[in-house]
Amino acid sequence: MSLTIVRLYHDLLGTYGDQGNAEVLVHRAQARGIDVELVEVTPHEPVPTSGDIYLLGGGEDGPQTVALEMLRTDGGLTAAVNSGASVFAVCAGFQLIGTRLPNSQGRTIDGLGLVDVETIYTDEPRCVGELVIRYSQTITQPIMTGFENHQGRSVLGAGVTPLGHVLSGIGNGRDGVDCVRPEGVHVAKVFGTYMHGPALVRNPALADAVLEGACGPLAEYVDEFAEALAAERRTTLWP
Amino acid sequence: MKSARLAVATFAGNCAGWASQVAGRGRGETIRGRVLLAVDPSALSKLAANRDIVLVSGTNGKTTTTANLAKILADGTDESVSTSEFGANMTAGIASVLMQQPAHRLVVLECDELYLPAMYDALKPKVIVLLNLSRDQLHRTGEVRKIANLWQNTFTGDDVTLVIDRDDPFLEFAANQAGHVLRVSFGGRRHPDAATCPQCANLLDWTTGDYACNCGLGSTLAQVRADHRLNGPARNTVLAIEAARLMGAIVPVELASDLTAQAPDRIAKYDVSGVSVPTRLAKNPESWRGALAGITASNVILSVNARGIDGLDTSWLWDVDYSPLKGKTVICTGQRRLDAAYRLSVQGIAVEVAQDFAHAVEIAGSDVEAIASYTAFQDLAAAQLGIKGATGGRS
Repeated sequence: MSLTIVRLYHDLLGTYGDQGNAEVLVHRAQARGIDVELVEVTPHEPVPTSGDIYLLGGGEDGPQTVALEMLRTDGGLTAAVNSGASVFAVCAGFQLIGTRLPNSQGRTIDGLGLVDVETIYTDEPRCVGELVIRYSQTITQPIMTGFENHQGRSVLGAGVTPLGHVLSGIGNGRDGVDCVRPEGVHVAKVFGTYMHGPALVRNPALADAVLEGACGPLAEYVDEFAEALAAERRTTLWP
Repeated sequence: MKSARLAVATFAGNCAGWASQVAGRGRGETIRGRVLLAVDPSALSKLAANRDIVLVSGTNGKTTTTANLAKILADGTDESVSTSEFGANMTAGIASVLMQQPAHRLVVLECDELYLPAMYDALKPKVIVLLNLSRDQLHRTGEVRKIANLWQNTFTGDDVTLVIDRDDPFLEFAANQAGHVLRVSFGGRRHPDAATCPQCANLLDWTTGDYACNCGLGSTLAQVRADHRLNGPARNTVLAIEAARLMGAIVPVELASDLTAQAPDRIAKYDVSGVSVPTRLAKNPESWRGALAGITASNVILSVNARGIDGLDTSWLWDVDYSPLKGKTVICTGQRRLDAAYRLSVQGIAVEVAQDFAHAVEIAGSDVEAIASYTAFQDLAAAQLGIKGATGGRS
């Protein structure tokens, strides 16, 4: 089996160690004997439409707007998602795959519209700190952790499911149309979250969920350090 | 003439500092400054009046460069220089330095990036050295661009000379409203956090190895050009020499070249269970890259904490390439040892985990070096001095 992971615009959307998400996906896929290719797309390079998983990371307000406009003009990411590709988007990346968001001047602009989430500007305090959520899917260990650092609040549209529900921290910061204290988004193969850490580093079960979305059920694999780190963060933050 | 309130405040501060030292609670400089400012809130500007002050700020190398600049300035002027010690770089620490030798005309102070606007207002420095700006403590300072904006809004007058590394686009932007800027160039180098322009937010053009932008950022010529092969500590030394010259120090060309060749780095030798462990301070991606490049021992301890001044978010560990450690024995310790250990293991580097630094040294044996995050470094320093907790600001 082979898998193509596309990391988009690291220079613009890689402020918070987000390349860790790419490295962990590659590592955990290879451990299952999957042949993985990691494609790095830099600004102004065409976005390939044949990828299986597309990664968007966190970034500052200005670079976020630049990345959004390039993705809109290129069209490759949207085409790939329409053909069934997976997306894992963090923070600024999460915001720009939604329907609307504030740009670096605070003006509301259209996002890529891959999921029905609107991010709004607020002068409430910035959300900074450890975030603990209960994952929406039924799994053995649903408690997940990350570090959030964002100003915007994100509102999920009707029928849109969050990635999880906040136990501690802020997450999306607004109740959804039909969910309370949501964090992130998870619709079909599109994942969005405010969790840095990086998120797939600190939550191996989430990394596997992203991989399974792209390549189906995975063989059992236990990475001692990954499990120890996830457990240490979980028990420290949610004893 | 000193005001009566300042005299009382100085006396009270010194008493508090002395009591803190006697109680074994630290070196006393921060508490001394705090008490001084509690008794006389305007003490800073009073103590700074009629003195020639240099401030040193930036993400990496503040403490080392401040000490280095103070020495170059003292040697080049034959005058005594008051200066910061132990990295105390916020208001109280700075007040403490100013009150200790009020007769010294020359003062070199380390200043935290976020405190720089307030210290510029209160102290009226003659020269401010801006070393570099890169990602650091994201939970506290926010984005690099926010500090660059803060500084740009601050430096709009012509009452101070900024000495900057113009190869850093954030510094060039921060200084572009200032009246007097001494720009030093090292021939240009790619900045890991500056894909887009700090001034206009468009993509910067780095194709020549230096940055260019249609908005014009970076087009002003540098007055000083230095060797492009210099590393971080050497670049900071070049900036320190230029600042010392502005302040009146005589630094002949040959001496400047020797000083740059022997640029000091932040390495302390800590004695742990009878083993001498050269330890480098590293606290953000850029300083970790520098520290890793300097490792020569075959056994390496990485001590990673995420307490307050370290930055609470350890995501940046994934932005560093640890390949200089391949083939070495690596032991991770500190509060976030598992974050570090997992990151290294994914990069294919064999790693062990130790409960504490002493245990890590036991595993490492001899021929060992360490890299420690800020509070881990402070804890080691405090243990060597036999005090219960370290003081000081961010480095």
